[in-house]
Amino acid sequence: MTARPDQDGDQQLRLLGDAWDKAAEHWRDGPAHQFGTAQLTPLLQESRGYLEALRTLMDLLETAERETEG
Amino acid sequence: MTRIHADIDALKGLHDALVRYRHAQRDVTARGEDQLTATRASLAARTSRLRAQLELAQAENTACQERAAQADPDDPVDCSGYARAVQQNSERLEQIRLWQQRIDAEAGEFSGIAGRFADLLENDLPRMEEHLVAIIASLEAARRVRAPVSGP
Repeated sequence: MTARPDQDGDQQLRLLGDAWDKAAEHWRDGPAHQFGTAQLTPLLQESRGYLEALRTLMDLLETAERETEG
Repeated sequence: MTRIHADIDALKGLHDALVRYRHAQRDVTARGEDQLTATRASLAARTSRLRAQLELAQAENTACQERAAQADPDDPVDCSGYARAVQQNSERLEQIRLWQQRIDAEAGEFSGIAGRFADLLENDLPRMEEHLVAIIASLEAARRVRAPVSGP
């Protein structure tokens, strides 16, 4: 069974977070801090917002399909 | 040597992760849109099917009512089954119409968020990747300058 897109998106978000944590272990200079706060953090926040909205929509679509079948 | 280049390797790993993330989330957004399209099509098909069933039930009910009007009072015709079918089909059609309205409202709200995220994937993320590539190149260039020259 194929996972829902929002679930796959969450998984990808976790993988990117892991990659950043790994990179941050070795990359700790000023540009690293700047990259983290100015670029990566907004990306992660925007991604979370999108995936939450996608989850809500997918839940609604599943319920609509279930409630109207027959 | 491993420690010297650990930051560069880590940055390359992060760059690769960003590229994978961009492609994977593009796929996620496309599948989300596909699911929305599929559910709308599914509800439209159910509506079409139910309308046909409703028309048939209404015609059968009308015919039954005509038979009932002409029937012998001692042998009445029962049309309640046809009337019930009309009512059930009407109720199901109304239920689907309400779901369609709700989906349209939710999809309208979602499209703004999805548009911003798509823009981020198409424009911001490639810029981040380019920025990382530039940082990696700069670090590599600095290491080459500082690398000790081996003697003969």
